[in-house]
Amino acid sequence: MTSKTSFPTGLPRLGAQIAPILIVCAIVFALPLVLNNDFLLNKVARYLVLGILTVSLALSWGFGGILNLGQAMSFGIGSYAMAMALKLKTIPVHTGSGGLPDFMVWNNVARLPWFWQPFKSLSFALAAGIIVPALVAAALGWFIFRSRVTGVYVSIITLATMVVLNLVIIDQQSFTGGFNGITDLAQLEIFGFAFDAYGRATFYLVASCVALSLLVAFAFTRTKAGLVVQAIRDHEGRVRYFGYDVAAYQIFVFALSAAIAGLAGMLYTIVMEFASPTFLGVQLSLSVVVWCAVGGRQSLVGAFLGAVLVAGMQGALSESAAFLETWTLVMGALFVLVVLFLPKGLAGLTKSAWRWIVRRRLASQGIARGVGQTREGSA
Amino acid sequence: MTTHLDLRDISVSFNGFKALNGLNLSVRKGELRCLIGPNGAGKTTALDIICGKVKPSTGAVTFDGTALQDLEEHEIARAGVGRKFQVPSVFRDLTVAENLEVARARRPGVWANLRWDVRRAGRADIERLAELIGLTEHLERPAAYLSHGQTQWLEIGMLVAQDVELILMDEPTAGMTAQETRKTAELFERLRGKHTLIVVEHDMGFVKAIGDIISVMHMGQLLAEGTAAEVEAHPEVRRAYLGSGGITNA
Ligand SMILES: Nc1ncnc2c1ncn2[C@@H]1O[C@H](COP(=O)(O)OP(=O)(O)OP(=O)(O)O)[C@@H](O)[C@H]1O
Ligand SMILES: [Mg+2]
Repeated sequence: MTSKTSFPTGLPRLGAQIAPILIVCAIVFALPLVLNNDFLLNKVARYLVLGILTVSLALSWGFGGILNLGQAMSFGIGSYAMAMALKLKTIPVHTGSGGLPDFMVWNNVARLPWFWQPFKSLSFALAAGIIVPALVAAALGWFIFRSRVTGVYVSIITLATMVVLNLVIIDQQSFTGGFNGITDLAQLEIFGFAFDAYGRATFYLVASCVALSLLVAFAFTRTKAGLVVQAIRDHEGRVRYFGYDVAAYQIFVFALSAAIAGLAGMLYTIVMEFASPTFLGVQLSLSVVVWCAVGGRQSLVGAFLGAVLVAGMQGALSESAAFLETWTLVMGALFVLVVLFLPKGLAGLTKSAWRWIVRRRLASQGIARGVGQTREGSA
Repeated sequence: MTTHLDLRDISVSFNGFKALNGLNLSVRKGELRCLIGPNGAGKTTALDIICGKVKPSTGAVTFDGTALQDLEEHEIARAGVGRKFQVPSVFRDLTVAENLEVARARRPGVWANLRWDVRRAGRADIERLAELIGLTEHLERPAAYLSHGQTQWLEIGMLVAQDVELILMDEPTAGMTAQETRKTAELFERLRGKHTLIVVEHDMGFVKAIGDIISVMHMGQLLAEGTAAEVEAHPEVRRAYLGSGGITNA
């Protein structure tokens, strides 16, 4: 088995790479068959959404080398976009047609603010939940990457930007619902089809978005642009001398990642039935980094599963109050352990184990020659 | 043949230290120019100036009528300048094939590269190149697992893949065995004529084997220029290399 004959297309291991994605998607879609409990289904949907958010971070961090500590900012923007649209739908019931969202009435707001106006259109809101995070990221990325800021400074700037937005949202209570967020939402209704947070339709909506995000992110990594982004991660300085505008590629992957995070944010509002400043809080944003590292940031599926498993574990253990208090400590310890002993996360561990098994089997059949030549065999 | 690349009165200082001090250098199209000089003479800095890594404090770099000193690195690359670094610089997590694919930057824009077929189309090219640099067996291995010599070749291969007019090579044979050096000289023979090359080298045997005209730098300036015999006989060159064991052992 020479490498030349096994990968004649120049796109090695397409099957090997896409198979885990398809398997995971199949399992996700099959979950409602096993989970016959609406509460549980809603809980799992929540973890799946956090999985999408973590995939978005894997794209910018694992593939682009950009550690965005403010990834939850895009998530929060998406979530608020959805919440604003769903809040406006409640006006006829809550405050009478032509009225205002209830919290604005309590805050003595006279007129619907200009930036709320377009959210009367659901299509606008759905588009905005993806496009606004992407545009914000592109603008922020423009400042960061055009001035060649790198490494830890990128993380600090993204984190700080998110904190500022978070504070603004909390501070502008009369327009944003402040600390309480935007609650008491209408159900999302598309073509007369209602998405109840505890219904199967919502679960399948989330499952479809899981598949969509994984496939879009995967497709990007297979393009030449995706390859250049990985080259930038490896050696940013070198890429310029081949004629690539490094900042343009960084801005692109940064914005693509934000768009996916925005989609996740919108879904989160549907599943949780509210939007809150904690959705763009430091705690969530840092948790995403841990999930991503645990699952394996250079693997989209790994990052997804890392989030679902760790967040799911936290959810399962949260019954016990004593444990919840020490959870932050557990997360911190988990992160340190992974960084020290599993730099490629669970995905890397799985890959090594798989390789070991294959090599053992081949060796026992006496045809181990050549395995060491391929990429899998040599890592 | 007319002047292809022209450096005029280039000066650069690092914290007050003048690494280049009024350097003048011109190279004609299709030439293979060797650049030699004692350690710290400013050879690497001269290449840095051409490819835009370092901006000159005074002076101008003209390449086919384009003023390079005002352009960004990627714009200079697009104008037709490629660079091999003194420390081999490849993408270690990417496979050899992927490294070569990145180097094949026909259309460097983001939007033009959001397609899959771009990568498939170049495969035949990449396999041909891998054969040229002797890395066919390693195409699907990450570059991190190559030996030092193979990494050097990969980077040279990447410059061939980039297919630019002017190639700048900083010590391409550093750390190579005698046999590897010979193979590299052969590789250069195949590049000669198709590209203009500027090669910084310490190995005089290699320089004599490949060079037409040799430029000698010393203390940030051009000291002498000519054939190997002329340069070696030059009294100032002898003086510059004094104490470093003579030009042949530099
Ligand atoms: N970034 C920098 N900061 C400070 N000094 C520098 C920098 N780059 C180069 N120098 C100094 O400028 C001088 C010229 O360096 P350069 O690397 O161009 O020499 P060189 O001719 O390539 O030497 P060598 O044969 O050792 O590679 C040296 O004295 C070096 O110490
Ligand atoms: Mg040097």
